[in-house]
This record gives sequence, structure tokens and C-alpha cells, in this order.
Amino acid sequence: MADQGGSQHGIARTSRVRTEAQKQQDLERIQKYRDLESHLRKLVAASDYSRDTFDLTTKLLKLNPEYYTVWNVRRRTLISGLFSRRSDGSSCWRACSSSSRCGTTTTCSAASLSSSLTRTPPSRASPTTGKSGTTADLDTTATVAPQQPTPQDDEEAQKKDLEIIKSELFFTIPLLLESPKCYWIWSYRLWILDQSILLLPVPIAKKIWQEELGLASKMLAKDRRNFHAWGYRRYVVSQLESKELGGESLVESEFAYTDRMIRADLSNFSAWHSRSKLIPRLLDERGAGEKERRDFLDAELNQIREALNVGPEDQSLWSYHQFLVDNLVSPVGRPTVPTLTLEDRVEYLTNEITEIKDLLEDYEDVKLIYEALLEYTLGLCQLEERKPEEEERQDLICWLKKLKELDPMRMGRWVDFERDYGLTELLPGGSG
Amino acid sequence: MESLADTLWDVVICGTGLQQSLLALALSRSDKKVLHIDPNDFYGGAEAAFSLQEVESWVEKVETGKEGLFRAASVEKLEGDTGLSFPRAYSLALAPQLIHARSALLSQLVSSRAYRQVEFLAVGSFSIFKPSPDPSQHSALVRIPSTREDVFSTTAISAKAKRGLMKFLKFVLDYESNPQTDTWHPHADAPLTEFLLKEFKMDKELQTYIITLTLSLDGKINTRDGLAVIRRHLSSMGMYGPGFAALYPKWGGLSEIAQVSCRAGAVGGAVYMLGTGVKTMNDQENPVVIELTSGDTIKTRKVVRASENATDNTGINRLVAIVGSPLKSLFDSTVEGAPTPAVAIVAFPAGSLSTAAGEASQSPVYLSVHSSDTGECPANQSVLYFTTVSEPGSQELLRRALDSFLAAVAGDTVPQCLYKLEYQQRQCSARSQASGSIFGFAPPTSSLAFDDSTLQSVHDAWKMVLDDESVEEDYLTFADREGAMDDDEIYD
Repeated sequence: MADQGGSQHGIARTSRVRTEAQKQQDLERIQKYRDLESHLRKLVAASDYSRDTFDLTTKLLKLNPEYYTVWNVRRRTLISGLFSRRSDGSSCWRACSSSSRCGTTTTCSAASLSSSLTRTPPSRASPTTGKSGTTADLDTTATVAPQQPTPQDDEEAQKKDLEIIKSELFFTIPLLLESPKCYWIWSYRLWILDQSILLLPVPIAKKIWQEELGLASKMLAKDRRNFHAWGYRRYVVSQLESKELGGESLVESEFAYTDRMIRADLSNFSAWHSRSKLIPRLLDERGAGEKERRDFLDAELNQIREALNVGPEDQSLWSYHQFLVDNLVSPVGRPTVPTLTLEDRVEYLTNEITEIKDLLEDYEDVKLIYEALLEYTLGLCQLEERKPEEEERQDLICWLKKLKELDPMRMGRWVDFERDYGLTELLPGGSG
Repeated sequence: MESLADTLWDVVICGTGLQQSLLALALSRSDKKVLHIDPNDFYGGAEAAFSLQEVESWVEKVETGKEGLFRAASVEKLEGDTGLSFPRAYSLALAPQLIHARSALLSQLVSSRAYRQVEFLAVGSFSIFKPSPDPSQHSALVRIPSTREDVFSTTAISAKAKRGLMKFLKFVLDYESNPQTDTWHPHADAPLTEFLLKEFKMDKELQTYIITLTLSLDGKINTRDGLAVIRRHLSSMGMYGPGFAALYPKWGGLSEIAQVSCRAGAVGGAVYMLGTGVKTMNDQENPVVIELTSGDTIKTRKVVRASENATDNTGINRLVAIVGSPLKSLFDSTVEGAPTPAVAIVAFPAGSLSTAAGEASQSPVYLSVHSSDTGECPANQSVLYFTTVSEPGSQELLRRALDSFLAAVAGDTVPQCLYKLEYQQRQCSARSQASGSIFGFAPPTSSLAFDDSTLQSVHDAWKMVLDDESVEEDYLTFADREGAMDDDEIYD
């Protein structure tokens, strides 16, 4: 692999005017970097994963956090000695078999080291003893159970590991601040977090992951629509909910979080999306019966309509409204209110159409309103398995006219609608 | 070292009010010889901030009639052991102006690097005082929505009214383009309230919200100015973080900016003399000859000072009250991730207060509530700044506003007012201008939000002092004095 010393993602460096002195300085810096790098390579070639190697990775990563091989070397130095209690099978995350008392280990290929980007959630090795099985050398498949550490050793070791984990997390922070999109730093951070599950008692590991949730919140506070940050948050939440960390459901607090994010910024696809994903579990956990479910649905519809009332040009809001409508009209999977009859569905949909029509009073030129009315009205006809009535037909013609005016780029689409539903005015009384 | 008299000064700046101080900052990297004097023994002039002891000396001075802009000052303290802390625990601001995030003052403080020495706090909610029709009921403070999310969350406005408000907010954000200009140009000089009614069908309540956002002292701001101010507020929202549109400097508002600017001036080599004023000045000569009250006679090429125009008879009445409660309910930030605000604004619209004789207020009263985070009072207390235009009965109305406010925010007990400072400040409609070797700054406005037009005068003074040596790109644009950040550290 070519040694690039830091990928630039195709962005050209801005050219600056440099004096001879600056050029000389740069050349010195380059030489220093190259020296560090070749030193590291020598150590790795000699399988030396000692403290010195670790320190060398620190220097190199501060200069170039994108050099992922160096992150891997750092992982190896931790596993090879700096972590006092090693997770079994070096970086192998598959659980030890439950017959851990005889200390068997699974073989693992050394290749798993560098493929550490796949997120196989770690699981504790032996639930019975709460310790991670045995220590094992990198390359052997030992079946010999070494001496079990004493409880005091254990506590000491745990303290030490906690320190290392904390300091490693701390190490990534300034690097993240400078290169917030560098995957390798995030990957390393997650690996360290996973180590906390493997090496530390549940309450301590849980605390570390809870702080991580706090970090995710901070990131989202800085950039509410950061799609990756939302994904990260969901991952952290799923870990906190996993049985390895005590298995408590966070669905209520996460739902409340989407509430707060929406109040901070209505236009947030990710927040609305998260919300939609949480609803089925939320209602199940609340033990919601039919009444509670209906009330919930009514409240959600009211809320999204309030939002549309102030932000009808916002696609994320229509998207959530559509989700709610689909959910009650033609649910796939987990309907919010499974017991709705056909009459109920018709009533809901008709009501939504009426409410949305109100928006036209003050918002005459917002295309998304007309689009929604078009879709929902045709949807209503489909639901009742009928053709549009005369009044509806007139409405649809009028809305399509507006859509052609406001969104001429999609003329083909509007014309298709007209043709498919017989909505062209020019041919009186019927199909186009 | 040359004595004062031996030096041929390039400029003598009289007074350390905000404008003069910003000028000192602007000149701090030039090689000009600057002598900066102030007859007061404190910095800040009309924008100063005072400990309680300094308040009392100032009040005495005002009563002698020699304080120019200020009149009718008095202090009232609650009797006995009230919880009032020692005098230096307080820093009462004469100019508690909020600074919109978009204000050029902030970008100038950044480009001149002076911002590093000022700590800025967030200004939070704007609310309206709503008297309750039923005397047994508490009056309420209703938050004014100024973002889409605010409008979404509020329960105080109907759906239709919300749509109207949203249309207006959208209109204002782009009010200087077509076709918006066609809509408001015909109304440019008419009151904003009329425009809101005619073009947006806004009812009285919504009109009050909008007018309050303008912080218009007489409530009669015209459409042209009103739209400009609202647009500034709306486009400032969220600029430096979620949930707030304006900032407030810690430790006393504009006084802190004046102090930081003078400090920069001193670091740049300017000589500072407090407690020193101009005794006589002969500006018919070149250089100008000044005899200072210290007895020194000096020569200078240029002079910058506060102009001596007569003031109008218009002005404001102010009441500053120290209250023994942290008033937490006013300072909660409702937006996720927003900083805790240190300042909250409450407006008492015309008609919401009445005198003992039963006359309704003709003009709005504005209240700026400062928590102890501003450094202006100790923890668990707050400072209230009430302002209204000077009219007969204004002083009484401010006192009513204080009582009504404390009643409205009372929990189990009504918070106590520990200390009251009242005074009047006159306005002057004259403009800053140069005449020969002298530049006169017009007196500061008494507006509640910092007005960027103040900065224009500072720039004019700077040009006048530097003459043809002024380089536009260098105006308030400096490099850090400490030198560039050393990024070679990690190579060690």
C-alpha cells in the first residue's frame, strides 16, 4: 500500500507563497516524520510491541491520524501487554465457549486484527465467572489454563485497564476535533469502548458507554442533522441496551430526545426518522392498549400538523406526515393502531385532507401542499376502491394545474397523473 | 522619557466612553502618540459600570448638574439587614445594551483581537407582560416567538395567526428584494404597526410581539427602521449557537468593551490619565494647545472629544433595581444545546401599566433582567434595568413596572427589592463631526440594543486622526500580539 502520509480526499492544498526558510523547515519536518515512520516499521518487523512502540504510535498518529496501519499497531501494543488482562484470543471477539473453566480458546486468524472495522459487538467471555477467559498468546491455540489471577490482582488489573481505556479515549479527542470525519479515529474509539465491555465490570463499562451517549448528544447539539452522528447515537444506545451492559431499555428517553431535537429544529429528517423507528417499541413497552394507541396517533398527527402549519415548505415534515398516514392506511409490519377498521382509516384520511386544505388559505404557492393533497386524495379513492367524485375531480384538476406551474421540472409526472386519472380539463366528461 | 509637555501628541482623546475607547483600540497599532484623558476617575464615561459606592459618588455629581447627559439621579436602599452585599460585589451598568450577533461591533472586536478579553453571555427570551384582567390572578409573562420553532411550540397563538406570523418572518428575512420592496416602500415612513395591520392583517397582539422585537422606545418605529431591526434580530438568531440572537458582555455591558479597548490602547503605547480634563483649549493655533486640569500644558495635532451640542428635551427614564432572588424561571433555555442565558428582556406594552390615578401608560416600558452570571451582582440576586421614554409620570410608571414584575414572577414569596437607582438620560440628535482639528462624538443613544451606526463615527474619527496615512484594510484588523501559534510542538 502506498505510503501517502495522509490522504487528502482529492482536495488540493492551497498553494502558499513559501520562502526558502519555510521550505527548508518543511523538508526538516518531512524528514522527521519519515524517520518516525521507518523506526516504527522496524519495530513491527521485529514483532516488538512494547511501550516504546506504543509511544511511537502516539507521535505518528498526532501527525497523521489517517494512517490506519499505525492505529492497528497501537491496538496490538495494548493487547500484547499494556492491557493487564487480555481479552481472550487477542482481538478475537467471538465469545469463548461457555465451558470456560477449562480455558479453551478459539483460534482466530491474525487477519482479524486489520479487519477491525467490522462491528461485531463484543460479548463477555464467561458469564459465570465474569472474567474474560484466559490469556493467550497471539499465535498459539493453547488449551492449557494458566494460573487464575487472585481477586486483588484482578482489582488492580481492572483499575489499570480502566486508566488505559480512559486515557485512550482522551487521546482520540483532540484528534477528532481536528479531523472529525476520520473513520480510523472513530473506529479506534469504538474498539476501546468495546474493550471496556470485555475487560471491565458491568457498572463501570456502562458508565463509560453512558458518557459516550453524552458525547453523541454533544455532537448532535453542534450539528443536529449530522446523519453519521445519529447513526453513532443509535449504536451507542443499542450497546447500552444490550445484555452485556445490563439490558435496560432506553426507548422512552430516546423518544424524549427526538422531541427536544425537533423543538430545537423542526427541519430534521434524522430526528423524525429516529422517532418513527422508536414508536413500535415505545408503545409495546408502555403496554399500550387500543385507546392509548389511538390517543398516541392522534397526538402525533396533531403535532406534525402544527409543524406543517409553520413549515409547509419543509420536506422532512411531509415525510413524517406521510409515514403516519401510511402507517394507518396501508401498514406494512408494525401498524401503530392495528385494530383500525376500514371506516376508521377512511375517517382519518379524510380528516387529514380537510386539515391540509386549510393551509392553502395562507400558503398558496407551496408545492408540497398540493402534492400531498394529490397523493392523499388519490389514496383515499384507492382505499375506498372507487373513482374520484366530481368535487374531488375538480380539486385534483386545480391542484395539478398549480403543480405544473410551481414545479415545471416534473411536468411529465403531472401530465401522467392527469392522463391516468382522467383529469385533463380539455376533454369534457371523461377519460383522457 | 519625554514629559507630557515636551511631546507633540498626534491626538488627545477626551473621555473614555465607548466611542473614544474604540478609537483608542483602532489606533493601538499605529505609531501615533496618543494621550487619552478622562475627567472622571473611572473608565467608561456614559457607558460606565459602577460599584454601589461609585453609584453614590456619581449620583452626587449628577445632582450638581455637571454630568451633561444625566439628570435627576437618586438612590433608595431598603432599611435594615436586607442581604445587600458589599459595594464592590455589584457592577451596575449605565448602558446595559444587548449586542445582536450580526452586529459589526462583534466582527470588529474579533478582527482587532480585542474579543479575547471579553466574556460574552447569551441574551435569552423576549417576553411580554400581560396584566391579568382578574386582580386575584397573577399577571403572566408570555414568550415572544421569533423563530419557526418558537412559533411551533407556543400555545398562545391560533393556527391561522401562526401562519400570518410565519409569512411575516419570511418576508422580513428577505425584505430588501423584490417583490417585498414593492409591498413596504409605500409605507416606509408610516408606523410599523400600520404596515403590519394593512399588509399582514395582524391583530393588536401580534403587532405587540413584533414591535417588542424592535425594542422601539416609543413604540412608534417606522416601517423602514422597524424592518431593518427585526431582520437583524432574526438573522442573528442561532449565529453563535442555538437559542439566542444577541450577546451581552460580562461585568457591565459596554463598559467592559470600553475598558478592554483602553487596555489595548495602553499596550499600544497610549498614555492614560484619569481624573484629568481639559481646562482651556486654543484650537486656533496649529498644533492645538491644551491646558489640562492637572496643570500640564500640552500640544497636539488633533483632538477627539464628546461634542458639546445641546441635548434635546427628549430622553429616557431609567430605574435600576437589585432584587434578592435569582429569578431562575426567566433564565431557562428551552432550546436543546443552548447556553444558559444571563439576560432576559420583558416588555410592558403601552397600556399594560397604569398610574395610581388610573391613567394607562402611553409608551412601552422595557425591562432587561440580568442574572448574577453577568457579574453585576452576587449569586442569588438579580439586577433589573427598566427603561421608558421620559414623559410626565415616567418615574411612577417605572416603579409600577417593578412592582408588577415582581408580583408576576413571585413564587411563594414576592422577591424583595434591595436597592434602587433612578435617573434620567437625555438624548441628542446631533451627529458626530469634525471641525478643523477637532472631532466631536455625538452623545450615545439610549437605545436598548447596540446600534451599529455608532461604529461609523469611530471610523470617521480614525480617518480624521490618521489623515492620508489611513489604510482601510488595517482598520481594526490586527494580528495577535503573541505571535503565530507554534505547531512544531509535536515534533519535539
